[in-house]
Amino acid sequence: MTKQALTIDHEACWGCRTCEVACKQEMNAPDGVRLISVLEEWPRSSDGKLDFQFHVRMCRHCEEPPCAEACPEGAISKRADGIVVMDFDRCVGCKECIDACPYEAIDYDMSRGIAQKCNLCHHRVDKGLLPACADNVCLAHCIYFGDPAEMEQKILEKKKMRRGWGETIPKAIAYSKGS
Amino acid sequence: MPEFRYSNVEKEMEVYGYDGVVKSHCRMCHGGCGVLVYTKNGRAAKIAGDPDCPINHGTLCTKGLASAQLAYHPDRLTHPVKRVGPKASGKWERISWDEALDTIAERINGYKRGSGAESIVMGYGTGRENEAVIYRFANLLGTPNVLTAGHFCYGPRIATSILTCGTNPIVDYENNPKCIMVWGNNIVISNPDEYKGEPFSVALSNGAKLIAVDPRMTRIAARADVWLQLRPGTDAALALGMLNVIVNEGLYDKEFVKSHVYGWEPFVKRANEYPLARVEEITWVPKEKIIQAARLFATTKPAGIQWGVAIEQQINCADNDRLLMALMGITGNIDVPGGQVLFQQPRIRNVGHFGAHRMLPDVQREKRLGGERFRLAGNFGIINPKCVWDAILDEKPYPVKMLFFISSNPLMTRANAREIYRALEKVDFMAVSDFFITPTAELADIVLPTATWLEMDYIGDFWKRHGYILPRRKVIQVGECRSDHEMLNDLAHRVGQGEHWWDNFEQALDWILAPMGITWQDFKKMDYIRGERVEQKYSVKGFSTPTRKFELYSTLLEKWGYDPLPQYREPLESPYSKSELCRQYPYILITGRRLPGFFHSENRQLPWMRELHRDPVVELHPDTARKEGIREGDWVVIESPRGKVRQRAKLFAGMDPRVVSAEHAWWFPEKKDAGHGWDESNINILTDNAYENCDAAMGATHIRTLLCRISPEKQEGGLS
Repeated sequence: MTKQALTIDHEACWGCRTCEVACKQEMNAPDGVRLISVLEEWPRSSDGKLDFQFHVRMCRHCEEPPCAEACPEGAISKRADGIVVMDFDRCVGCKECIDACPYEAIDYDMSRGIAQKCNLCHHRVDKGLLPACADNVCLAHCIYFGDPAEMEQKILEKKKMRRGWGETIPKAIAYSKGS
Repeated sequence: MPEFRYSNVEKEMEVYGYDGVVKSHCRMCHGGCGVLVYTKNGRAAKIAGDPDCPINHGTLCTKGLASAQLAYHPDRLTHPVKRVGPKASGKWERISWDEALDTIAERINGYKRGSGAESIVMGYGTGRENEAVIYRFANLLGTPNVLTAGHFCYGPRIATSILTCGTNPIVDYENNPKCIMVWGNNIVISNPDEYKGEPFSVALSNGAKLIAVDPRMTRIAARADVWLQLRPGTDAALALGMLNVIVNEGLYDKEFVKSHVYGWEPFVKRANEYPLARVEEITWVPKEKIIQAARLFATTKPAGIQWGVAIEQQINCADNDRLLMALMGITGNIDVPGGQVLFQQPRIRNVGHFGAHRMLPDVQREKRLGGERFRLAGNFGIINPKCVWDAILDEKPYPVKMLFFISSNPLMTRANAREIYRALEKVDFMAVSDFFITPTAELADIVLPTATWLEMDYIGDFWKRHGYILPRRKVIQVGECRSDHEMLNDLAHRVGQGEHWWDNFEQALDWILAPMGITWQDFKKMDYIRGERVEQKYSVKGFSTPTRKFELYSTLLEKWGYDPLPQYREPLESPYSKSELCRQYPYILITGRRLPGFFHSENRQLPWMRELHRDPVVELHPDTARKEGIREGDWVVIESPRGKVRQRAKLFAGMDPRVVSAEHAWWFPEKKDAGHGWDESNINILTDNAYENCDAAMGATHIRTLLCRISPEKQEGGLS
């Protein structure tokens, strides 16, 4: 079966957070429950300079999902296409999955007393639609959905292209980033 | 950009059982993005971007997606009300539209008879694309006083670009600019006027070089090839420094300068007054970086400057704008593909024509508040807000009796909020048209329920300068809400202007479109219309300026008694101009950085938007926080010589430790008393609106930089 995954080109993300609201519109998760969220990061580059970028926090749909292993109710399972689905109806709210997730990608919904995470809009995917956040809402066009290897390749090409016009600039004033 | 065309409309309809989908045009900010509104049982059920729209190519922002949450908000005003208690008592009573408009009409006619039409001030904020109807109403009424944000937002770009080159030059993102200089703007987060963040982002994806001018490290600054982290408020000096490099290294377009520039020699002399050593001292930017940026910008073609409001809310407002245009002009980037284009609108009746500016009698125009003081603004129908507050409070030069604010919350968004509160408390009569009863509306006599973009037919982007117009189609009706356009068309008949208006507003849309030989019903069937694109129009006709040249030396400013050449003025309240005061208020406070979800004072009551950003946040450098004993998340007091407010601390390393950055326009709709917390975190309690603190020509209030001190808020019981 074809693998389906959501891949984010973090370098391109502007932090506009439209993906978060597209998710809200689709899933109507209650206040405080964020199935996708955009966080600020302050990594230092190799020369010690501070950088500023965004990181999108959401379920990674792991190869061997620790949340599925941790769930005593068997409410989380990985499908053949790679999507890790949490069955909200079977969740009893024990929070084991929340503790098990290394990416802090599972939230607790106090209003329903259950855990919630991104199910990659499998209800849309199964009908031939794209996940809400990946359906061309992102102004950076940095959210990709499809075969993961293919998407990685696409992102690599994009990165190359972003540094593209270099050769048209006279050598004397070609600058590297941050110089 | 066909590769981004995802949204599958038919499938979406089938899977979710929507009963319709309407193409329309968003206006959750200044407007601009094409949208698809899916409907179910007569309600807007889902908002998506329109992949066919040349502005956003199917993408959207947080605000646009939350449009239905605004339209159906439980607190929304859905019928007219009149106040039945004292001002700010929160006591309102439902009335009919007839009673509301008859009362307003009676007041208008009464004040006009008794005190002259100039005693009635109409107003809007950033405008909900109602600007042209408001001006039309005011001009036909005979009042020269329309109080907008135009003195320090967009108005200066229009006024100074008309002076310099005839119209506002817009970055031509559709033709691959190869270098973009983003100056005091965060186009991917903010509410840009013509093109949006998407085409900007695509231009960078295609490999454009990037220069960022910003005191804060935005993601744009982080990604830039060169980031100029300037001292806030010194933009004009930095631009003069870059011009100095471009002139002295001969990097300018010699043919353009020779044939099309007016005032080159005096301009060069002026640029030479700003040697880089001096510029470095003023701006805190190392001169090597200025040289680097100037060379990159001047030699990479085509190039454009993405500019915005930050440089306009300064004492150097008009000159900041003029200097950026000088950079665009002398590098040969004006009106070339991928550069900075003077786009033409389709052949419709334009906003100026619709606004009926020629119908305002000269004798009334001469009474424009502040028209003599701020002559650039005055010549473009724009007034400085303090002139209005003074006219109410001191009745000079004449008393203002009535305010009519249509989509405006000045208590939150104009400088010196306490003075504004006193003026709104005192004014004889005030009407407001808005979505909610805002802190400003709480001081009104009558509040009218206005329509969101989902509830109106209109010609979207009517006033923009990218050459497009796009149909905004009505999708839903909420309560008794009416668009400001329909409301003013109705009111116009009740005050005796009927002969200049229409039976219904659709006829007005027909009138605007008539020169193209189409009606609103025809336009409704189209995606958009764009004006004719002609490159380098100036090579045939010259520029639309008095000299037909690109005026680096402004003959009009000279005529009006101002320095015809741009210069740098030190802000009145800075560590250099007020070194004594700086001991008590040691930090430079910058205000109004843009956030996803909010549009000035709007959207704090929308759950999806507030979840993105719950509290007002002041950013400070970790070193500064340590020094002041402030931790991440603490509520802190920010204080200027004029007052203090509270916001929550966020440690932010991407800023000079001497700079502190506060948010603007915060009020708390969840607080149900009539103040709604208007003075708790409102940064305009701290800003100064004195006339000397404004741009001498444009009247732009310098609100973006001031001096402040900051301390942890003492909790009850005296513990800090």
